[in-house]
Amino acid sequence: MADWQELTEALDDYTLSCNGNARLRQMQRDWSRILHFVCSDTHDTFSMDVEKGEIVSVQPGHVGRPDIVVTTTSETFCDMFWGDLNPVQKYLRGEIVVKGSQEDVMRLDAISYVIWPDS
Amino acid sequence: MGDSSDAAPPITLRRSVGTATATATSAGLAFAAIDYLGVVSILAYAPGATAAFAIFVGGLIVILVSAIFSELNGLYPTAAGIRLYLGRAIGNRTALSVTFTYMTTVVLVIAADAFLIGAAVRHVLNEPSVLAYVWIVVLLGVALAANLKGVRLAGWVQTIVTYTVLAGTAILSVIAMFHVGGSFKQPLDLFGQGTFSGIQAIAFAVFLYAAFEWVTTTAEEARAPRVITRALFIAPLIIWLVASVFALALSHLVTYHALHGSAYPQLLLGRAALGTVGELWMLALTVLTALNTFNGGFLVASRFIYAAARENNLPRLFARLNINAVPWMAVTTLTVVSAAVAAVVFATGQWLLLVSVGAAIECAIYAIGSVCLLVLRSRVQSHRPFRMLLGRPLAAFGALLFSLLFVATAFADPKNSKRFSVAPFTVIALLGAVATAYVYFVVPRLQRAAAARAAASRPRRRPVREATDAGETVGPEDPTID
Repeated sequence: MADWQELTEALDDYTLSCNGNARLRQMQRDWSRILHFVCSDTHDTFSMDVEKGEIVSVQPGHVGRPDIVVTTTSETFCDMFWGDLNPVQKYLRGEIVVKGSQEDVMRLDAISYVIWPDS
Repeated sequence: MGDSSDAAPPITLRRSVGTATATATSAGLAFAAIDYLGVVSILAYAPGATAAFAIFVGGLIVILVSAIFSELNGLYPTAAGIRLYLGRAIGNRTALSVTFTYMTTVVLVIAADAFLIGAAVRHVLNEPSVLAYVWIVVLLGVALAANLKGVRLAGWVQTIVTYTVLAGTAILSVIAMFHVGGSFKQPLDLFGQGTFSGIQAIAFAVFLYAAFEWVTTTAEEARAPRVITRALFIAPLIIWLVASVFALALSHLVTYHALHGSAYPQLLLGRAALGTVGELWMLALTVLTALNTFNGGFLVASRFIYAAARENNLPRLFARLNINAVPWMAVTTLTVVSAAVAAVVFATGQWLLLVSVGAAIECAIYAIGSVCLLVLRSRVQSHRPFRMLLGRPLAAFGALLFSLLFVATAFADPKNSKRFSVAPFTVIALLGAVATAYVYFVVPRLQRAAAARAAASRPRRRPVREATDAGETVGPEDPTID
């Protein structure tokens, strides 16, 4: 079970990796979404605001009305944000549960794929 | 620290799908241009008004499918649902083989629609028959370009298109029945056109509804689980109404002899009903069906290919994304394969074979879905938003019934009720054998190569944490386990 500090570290790294990747920013240039995350084990929640492909804020709690809601364990979130696991494999096994359009689900995975193609 | 309130209210999405949109999605996925030919296949086995009877019985059977998929969707409300419940019921490898074979129906439908629309456009423009293939290539090229650009039909556009196609077909059919050639004075005469001659008529009728269950792939964006359940029950009702009046009108105004060799029965009905206006009316509706087929079909199939490649079940190049975040290799491959299948159909004139193959694969999927429900009733006890009444006996009945319908269509000649044909079964067996061989011999190699690549290419990034007070070592999972 990962604690909030670990999650924050993972999210900080993820934000840097996303915002610093020029190809990803270009690819997601038309993608503005509010994402909510729910840790199924710790019940921690946090929100991410993406504006034209740039992560502009990550806040604790649920802020705004989401386009996508992602639910999984805190450990999986940490590994995912560090790029240490393949989100699609977890998703296809039902270990990551997403609410949102198919297109948004794919875009979310595309972020990991572009930053860490070998994950 | 993040908000960890236990009594959090349910989260509603900013953009979510309601019953009307989900129903349109379900009906739109089912009602493609190939459905007009599906009615002709039914007429081969159930002439005149008995075709409407077959469509009614097919609809009743499909309601069983609605109940089965509603329960399965409630258990696994995700776009990956089919992989999940197949995997948990019959094992991951078999699930993958079945899913690959299932996805080939998408390619068949795209190819069939491209062919049928191309043939219809060529017919109306009175061009030489060879130009039909030019139209097919143009249609697929436009679909490819739109997909690569990331152009998507907005949900409301798709809803309007679907209801326009269904209402337009029904209205012209009613006009044809009641206002052409006098009135529809003696409808019972249609019963005198021939004999209802087999279970194949019902199997082909089931095909008219085929793919309506793909609406379960939108479960993640549904406002509530019951939205998908409602769509699964309402969409077959709409298709039943439209297909029934279309079959009756076709029997009323067009001879079976004329339909027998035609790839565009809807145009023949349009011309018989309202002359050139009717023909153009039906051509417009036929072209509109392409929007749903190409938008929905390309989206479902290309995203499946992308996910399979990301899961290391297909070569990695199929997961490559272009600058519009579109899996360009998956979309391009789909287009090329569809064009090749359409070319074979164009060269051989065997378009009704696609109806038989599609109908048989769908029946097999429904039989497997019934088996999954039966198995998961025993294995998974978690709450289901929808629970089918008499679930076990009805699922067992479904498995038997759809197996029987599979055999009936897999050996049916869609043009002639007096003949059997092994062609549909041969095509399905070939597809199934290729999919199974691929899953058992190629996928393990891809998985091993991916694991080796992941282990060799870069170290784990997540920092390893100190042991906790409780003595538990906290740190990253071993990525190679995935």
